[in-house]
This record gives sequence, structure tokens and C-alpha cells, in this order.
Amino acid sequence: MLLHVNPASGVPTYLQIETQVKHYIAAGALTPGDALPSVRQLASDLRISTNTVARAYQDLERDGILRTIPGGRTYVAENPGSFLKAERVRRLRPYARQIAVEGTQLRLDPREIMQLVQQELDALEEEHERYGNLDRKAR
Amino acid sequence: MSDMAIWTEKLVKIYPDVRAVDGLNLNVPRGVVYGFLGRNGAGKSSTIRILLGLARATEGHGTVLGFPIGREQVAILERTAYVSESKTLYGNLTPRELVRFTRGFYPNWSEQAVRKYSQLLEIPMDRHFSKLSQGNRTKVCLLLALSQGADLLILDEPATGLDPVVLDEFLRILVQDVVSEGKTVFISSHQLSDVEQIADWVGLIDHGKLLLEARLDDIKSEFRFVTVAGNGLPQIQSSEVLLLASEGSFQKYLVKKDADAFAAQLSRQGATVAEVSPMSLREIFLALVRKEETCTSGNVGEIAEAVSLPLS
Repeated sequence: MLLHVNPASGVPTYLQIETQVKHYIAAGALTPGDALPSVRQLASDLRISTNTVARAYQDLERDGILRTIPGGRTYVAENPGSFLKAERVRRLRPYARQIAVEGTQLRLDPREIMQLVQQELDALEEEHERYGNLDRKAR
Repeated sequence: MSDMAIWTEKLVKIYPDVRAVDGLNLNVPRGVVYGFLGRNGAGKSSTIRILLGLARATEGHGTVLGFPIGREQVAILERTAYVSESKTLYGNLTPRELVRFTRGFYPNWSEQAVRKYSQLLEIPMDRHFSKLSQGNRTKVCLLLALSQGADLLILDEPATGLDPVVLDEFLRILVQDVVSEGKTVFISSHQLSDVEQIADWVGLIDHGKLLLEARLDDIKSEFRFVTVAGNGLPQIQSSEVLLLASEGSFQKYLVKKDADAFAAQLSRQGATVAEVSPMSLREIFLALVRKEETCTSGNVGEIAEAVSLPLS
């Protein structure tokens, strides 16, 4: 798994890791049961504190995205997003609001905003298919 | 206070010509990489020298690994590896001889570590120390520090003279062999970028005072630039909000907490919120240090207080 962090950005490093792991899973590059590097390994690869990696992994575990076997390795959970629909909607809402606010501020009309979101969904779908063709069952 | 690797309370060091450390309260948790950041002459090295018992505090007290500073010096030095700012060792000894000279002082010394790190850091082991380049001198100091089996590494400007490849290798060693083992690393530097990558805690020091101490990721989550436009806005200034600049109807704030609520409040008062944006450590550092300087020179505003963000 190739992760990259930019320590000089204003975005907390653990969030950068979480975002990338989620992206890899959404795009199908990581599928349920895949093992992630150990905290120590990823920390030394990225030259960041082990505490930072541990924090990212803990957050992802709490969200049901990763699963750690006690004293062992960390895997992509079998059914990520097993939360109730209502909970998933609740988590996404702030991002939807942000898109609405930013889009309006940039004077894009609602149709254009929706179109952009659709394009991003399509891109993700395409990526997913590419990984699927790489000898992997999609989804 | 033994859950802290380093703890000080109201530490003061007065030299005849300068108040080098001015009421410093440090809280360095065990097992973290702590970046102790400040400009040249901010008081970093003076603080470190007090921690190690190489200088005596004028006032205040503290502990290192649970041992009181200035009273349990042997216990502290046995468990603490120290790389000094000057990186000077005996010039007529070779690194190999320096290793032999040093190892007797440390009960947990590892010869295996000497072999491993002297190779990884590419150290010429048989050339006189005085003949080595600045970068190689630094590497020898780091080698001795890494081989002590210490629970705490105090590194004063450890990147001096290192090329990017060696610096990167050194950071990898620190993470893999030191931090992963639950040991504490305290790095002082005026180069933010050297430390920003690896540190998970930072303390910003200026004029001998701590301006800020918190987990780096918490700082990045909380601190925001807020730029607003509006006429006749109230002059807001508190320990959480600093007015950085005012130009025409525009005002730029540094908000340490709840920036969205702050922006909403201004918005209710008729202001247009132009931007709420995250800040890099560099921007935070510059804003806090410059603010502090305008304050101490007697201009408007109050002195920035060191804020501690709650642990999550």
C-alpha cells in the first residue's frame, strides 16, 4: 500500500492517512481481508511518529473500516459500513453541507454542483473497475 | 509527575545579561516525539542544559523521567542520551575510540547498535574526530546517543550538517528503533520542517516562555485563519482569538479553538466571512512569535498565552 503524507500541510497527518485508506477501499484497491502494514512499519516508511499511525488506525477501527486481531495484524474489515443507514447519512451530511456552501459561494448553480459530485462518483467507479480487472473481484 | 518524561514548573534561568528562560512550564508525555521549537536564542539550549544538570536553574523546578532536576543527576544522565548543540567531542580520538570511551558510562550500552548505526549512517570510524566534516561529527554524536539504550533522547539541533539522505535515514531509525519501543524523543530545532514530519507533540518557545504546547495534529485540527470584512466590527481579542492584521474593512484573526463558531458569531454581527482556512505549523509559529513581539514592545493586544488543547 502506497501512502503519502505531507507534514507541512495544515491537515493533521492522521487524517491524511485515514482519507487515503478510505479512498483505496472505496476504489477497490484494498478489499476486505487485505492486510495493512503494521503501525511500526508504516510509521518508519513515512518517517512519522508511531503514535500518529496508531491514532489513524484506531479511528478507522472505531468506524468499522479496519479490524485488528489482538496482538496481531490489521485488516480491512469484512463488511465496512455495517452501520445503520441513518448513521452513515449522519456522517456524510457535514461534507454535503460543505459542498453546498462552497459551491454556492463560488456561484455554481445547483445543477453544476450535482454534476461535479456525479463526475467524482463516476471516476471512483471507473477506478474500481480498473482494480477489478486486475484479477480481483470487484466489491 | 512520573507519567511525564519531562516536567518543569516555572523554570527561570537568568544570566547576567539576559533572562534566558522565563517561567517555563513543560509537559512532555512519555513515548512521544516532542519538537521543542523556537528561534535562535529563544532559550532552547539553556532549558536543555538545566534539564541535564549542566546549568542550575535560577528558579523553578522539574523532573526528568521522574527524577528531580539538579538532585538526581546521575540517575537522569544514565537514562538520557544527549546530543549537544555544539557537537564537539575529543578531537584527537577516532569515532571507534570515542565509542570505547563512552560505553563504560551506560549500563544498557549496545555494541550491536554501534555496528548497525555506524554502517547505516556511513560513519568513518577510524579518522580523528577533529578531521571530520560537520555532518560526520553530528553522525558520531547521534551514534553515541542511539547506542546508549536510553529511555529519553534529548537532541539539540540534531540535523546540523546532515545531508537530506542521512537525515531521512536518521528519522527512519528514530521511528523504527526508538519511538516504536515506547521511548521518548525530545528534539530542539529552529528548522520547523526537520521536526514537523516526525514530531507528534510540539512546544513553541520564544523569549524563554512557552507560547504553545499541544499535540501537533490537534493544533492543526483546531487552529484557523479567519478573514472577515465589515465595517465597525467589535475589536475582539482573547486568549483564544488573536487579531493578526487589520486593513481597511478587512480583519485577519488567528483562532485557536471553535473557529466555525467564531466565524458564525461575526457573521451574525454583520461581517462577511471571507475565509476560514487551516494553518501549517510554520504559519502558526510565525503568527504567534510576531504577535508576541508586538505585544512585548508595548503595542495593542495581550500576550499570547500558552494554550493546552485537551487530549482526545
